[in-house]
Amino acid sequence: MTEYDVPAGGQDLLRMTGIVKEFPGVRALDGVDLDIRRGEVHCLLGQNGAGKSTLIRVLTGAHKPDAGTIQVNGQVVSLNTPADSMRLGIAAIYQELDLVPDLTVAENVFLGHEPARFGLTRRSEANTKARELLKGLGHGEIPPGRTVGLLSAAGQQVVSMARALSRQARLIVMDEPSAVLDSEEVDNLFRVIRDLTAQGVAVVYISHRLEEIREIGDRVTVLKDGATVATGLDARETPTAELIRLMTGRSIEYVFPPRAELAGDAPVVLEVENLSRPREFARIGFSVRAGEILGLAGLVGSGRSEVLETVYGARRAATGFVRVDGKVLAPGKVQQAVKAGVGLAPEERKSQALLLDEAVYKNITVSSMGRFASGGFLNSHAERQAAEELTKALDVRPAGVEHPVRNLSGGNQQKVVLARWLMRDCRVLLLDEPTRGVDVGARSEIYALVRKLAASGVAIVLVSSEVEEVLGLADRVVVMREGRAVHTGPAQDIDEHQVLDLVMEGSAV
Amino acid sequence: MSEEVARSEAPKQDELGHGQAMAEVDPTAAGATLRHLLKGGAGRNVGLVIALVLLCIVGVATAGDRFASTANVLTILRLAAVIGVVSIGMTFVITGGGIDLSVGAMVALASVWATTLATQQLAADYHWIFMVSTALLVGAACGLVNGVLVAYGKIVPFIATLAMLAGARGLAEILSDRKTQIISVNSFVDFFGGSLIGIPVLVWMFLLVAAAGWVLLNRTTFGRRTFAVGGNAEAARLAGIKVQRHTVALYILAGLCCGIAAVMLMARTTTGSATHGGLYELDAIAAVVIGGTLLSGGRGTIVGTVFGVLIFTTLNNVFTLNNLSISAQSVAKGLIIVIAVLLQQRLAARATAP
Amino acid sequence: MSVRSARLLIIVGLSSMALIACTSNTPEAEKTTDSGTQQVAAKGNDEPGKKVKIGFSAPAADHGWMGAITKATQAEAKKYSDVELVVAEGTNDVNLQISQVETFINQKVDAIVLLPFDGAALTPVAIKAMEAGITVVNVDREFGSTFAARTTVLGDNLGMGVSAGTYVCKEMKGKKDAVIAEIAGIDSLPLTQARSAGFKEALADCGLKVNNRVAAEFTVESGEKAAANLLQAAPKIDAIWNHDDDQGVGVMAAIKNSGRKEFFVVGGAGSANVMRDIKAGNTLLKATVIYPSTQGADGVRLARLLVQKKALGDLVEVEVPRTIQLYAPVVTKDNVDQYLPTAFES
Repeated sequence: MTEYDVPAGGQDLLRMTGIVKEFPGVRALDGVDLDIRRGEVHCLLGQNGAGKSTLIRVLTGAHKPDAGTIQVNGQVVSLNTPADSMRLGIAAIYQELDLVPDLTVAENVFLGHEPARFGLTRRSEANTKARELLKGLGHGEIPPGRTVGLLSAAGQQVVSMARALSRQARLIVMDEPSAVLDSEEVDNLFRVIRDLTAQGVAVVYISHRLEEIREIGDRVTVLKDGATVATGLDARETPTAELIRLMTGRSIEYVFPPRAELAGDAPVVLEVENLSRPREFARIGFSVRAGEILGLAGLVGSGRSEVLETVYGARRAATGFVRVDGKVLAPGKVQQAVKAGVGLAPEERKSQALLLDEAVYKNITVSSMGRFASGGFLNSHAERQAAEELTKALDVRPAGVEHPVRNLSGGNQQKVVLARWLMRDCRVLLLDEPTRGVDVGARSEIYALVRKLAASGVAIVLVSSEVEEVLGLADRVVVMREGRAVHTGPAQDIDEHQVLDLVMEGSAV
Repeated sequence: MSEEVARSEAPKQDELGHGQAMAEVDPTAAGATLRHLLKGGAGRNVGLVIALVLLCIVGVATAGDRFASTANVLTILRLAAVIGVVSIGMTFVITGGGIDLSVGAMVALASVWATTLATQQLAADYHWIFMVSTALLVGAACGLVNGVLVAYGKIVPFIATLAMLAGARGLAEILSDRKTQIISVNSFVDFFGGSLIGIPVLVWMFLLVAAAGWVLLNRTTFGRRTFAVGGNAEAARLAGIKVQRHTVALYILAGLCCGIAAVMLMARTTTGSATHGGLYELDAIAAVVIGGTLLSGGRGTIVGTVFGVLIFTTLNNVFTLNNLSISAQSVAKGLIIVIAVLLQQRLAARATAP
Repeated sequence: MSVRSARLLIIVGLSSMALIACTSNTPEAEKTTDSGTQQVAAKGNDEPGKKVKIGFSAPAADHGWMGAITKATQAEAKKYSDVELVVAEGTNDVNLQISQVETFINQKVDAIVLLPFDGAALTPVAIKAMEAGITVVNVDREFGSTFAARTTVLGDNLGMGVSAGTYVCKEMKGKKDAVIAEIAGIDSLPLTQARSAGFKEALADCGLKVNNRVAAEFTVESGEKAAANLLQAAPKIDAIWNHDDDQGVGVMAAIKNSGRKEFFVVGGAGSANVMRDIKAGNTLLKATVIYPSTQGADGVRLARLLVQKKALGDLVEVEVPRTIQLYAPVVTKDNVDQYLPTAFES
């Protein structure tokens, strides 16, 4: 903030006070205070689940807050729809860029407010205006007529910013903008941000990378469990240890079941060696013994989910082996992994695992139909009975196996996915974000269940964005950063601060 | 950040889930019965039964005994038989998340190939089974090509089968030189044109195919996989189902049904022709969709399809009996499609609402 | 004189057609008979008799001529108080057309007038109808069996070609190096082959031949395409015979676009549009050859006579003939008024 000319007057561009947003069963935002000044880069820090995304959605009018006030230029406003926010000059650039890839740069920039006369779009005018905007962003080399899909990720981001500016945005929210960029492109991005702030535009910058925050940020606000725990911190001077302490000191404690002692002679079930996929991850290796839980920690995009899906054969490995009970699995063959006793509870439960409109029992038996069939004919009575036993054991509610899975809560849906693999008596279970979308109460149940499964001799690989979860459940931990394993070791020997540090900066504190 | 998004949205789902759970556990007795009825196979078809009954009432009221006679009912069934068999195959493909626009062309090609001089000679020398197996093989082979193009060539089903539509009919025209090929194998015509216990063989064939289709879809692993593949192909793949191979099997099944339909049409007309099966794709899709099968896949009903076919053929019969205009019938057909689908949606919404 | 002899063969058809025409007041009839006999005969046969229920089924009206067939049939049936006509939906699906005939059988109609989409494919069900004691009158496209119909009304495709060829010969007035072009319909159909054969035969009679021949598909679009190609292929033409007036709309459009004027065009089938053009005389269309669209109407009349056990007026024979082939006259400016009222609107 020191380098840039902040307009005098000192009045805040945006002030949010006591913002509360409740979703049924969960208080996503619980008293957030935030003030943004003109021309500053305000960084938002917080763990996964701290409420950053919900806050952005409130800011852009996607969610209506239940309590609290929002002031823009000192005037109390209500942001009920995205259009309200846009009118007040608030724009957001999301992680997954919301551009139409088949339209041109200019068309994307002016999407929804095309320069037009008598209903006819004025192409040349749009192109000229787009070129000016791009030049203003220091990217005059991007041709307005180019199809957006052909641009690099960085170029697309610039287009996204041009779009925000074309709507006279005075506050731009950037949600992890560096996640899709390489280091050179990040430098570009920072130059653009500096230009913007020099013109008095405020930027809310969200990132997990502390080094970036130190370089570009002016002030920092830390969110934890839906509330502001600290605001107005100096982005350059605040010690890393202090930031991490603010982010991690939890108020909700999950109950993790005690670890069982791993038998000394437990056989190695899953071996992964030198596994690589270009641009996703490289040279990943680990082994898991029967009854052991291995945790993969890392940020979204660090390659953890990709590793899991490659082990499962849903992605084809470029190099490396996966062995189950000593037998090598052919790469890219889900069928073979399933046959060898591997099961996957994928990250996107609804789109990747469940048949939402089908009954619970059909979802459970889908991977072990052979057991209930003779000559291709299904014995659905036996199916229901077996599914019933499992749902009882896992305490799936509501009881009964005829409900469509769609009507179950997140936690119960996860239990159905687990039941599917339990029914196969699988040897290896790959769990990707097993508690995503699962409410607080049900989490403990899932944790106990995972533990119990391990105790019965299943080898488990667990991926989670929540460091606490990985450390609480796993026996051993692999920390991943940008596609590489940066640390491997027993879970007891490392704490949350160290993992976060590895994940964010690549070196232990 | 998407974790957070999922988190903030998931609780809504939770609430919904619990709310649903309550409704499931503690409904009024009448509500429970109704809901059970609506959810059951019979319930989903209530609208169709009502439509068919209404049509029959109109038929009896306007045409009396001419409509209600055994001969007329058999006429309706014979007409329904050919398009019905095609529609059964179509039901599988649509339930599995695809669509097959080439059914009419496959019927044409199978009928032509099975009535070439060479095939007929073989049939005359040995047995008509050669003609039947030629038709079935041609249908299945076309289906195989469709399936491979869709599953392994990753061509969208609409385009892949559109290509087959053009290709198969063209090939049929080349094979037949656009001439109608008359069947001179009397044993073939006698068998398939005849009756068993007073019911035409064609109608028996339709019943058999429908029954086999019902069992296959509802009682076998194949059927369960079809629902899984059509409902959520990615989830099916990650659950260990061979999605591509299954997709191929579905298109082969549709082709096979077209082969059977070709045999039936050959028996009915005593000819094979490149013009056979014109626009069957539209009739079949219409019947399948008003039957309650979801065009986007994942939900399908053989009983509904049979009702769909019967509704259209009965409609045709009632109009013919009443000497009504050609154009009015098309309007009625369009109306029935819209009303049936609207009705289905309402009933489905009521069946799944908490 | 081979053409003459060939035409002699058609004389039976010709005269019988004329004789049916006796029973009608259609202008078409007036050319061949004097009105006196017509009235007498008409009185005898037109008097209301036993009630006759007739089922009628034809292919889909996707062509002007086919639409005219159904319209003329319905109009004809309305003239008789003793005829009840049941019209089934026009369809190109033989499966559906078969069931329509089955429905007629169930309804126990007295007669069926059937213009089959595919003569061979409808043969079995027609035989079934005959066996059920129903009088079947086959129109335009012949069945594969003589047992399938009591009487067949046919157009004269060969005769069309002959008439067109003869007219062209006359107009060329002995010009030996005249360039003659032909735009045929769907080439693989027997009717197209017959038309072309007749045309060739008649031209040969005056020492001419078809220099350029293209085939269209009875649709406007295909006619335009075929004609455009033809005009490119032949830099100078003296006469064009186009088999079908529906596709002729496209043919004339292509000619107009080319700006060519050195030839005249003879049409086929005889649509009202073409006849109006001939009458106006301001286009290249000088003549057309009729393929009567009243075949279905004639079918209804014959069916009524057969059921009521009446004979054709002016025939000594007491039974209606088995086959009646209609004549294919040439329409020019001189006689167009005579044919315009029965021409079909495409």
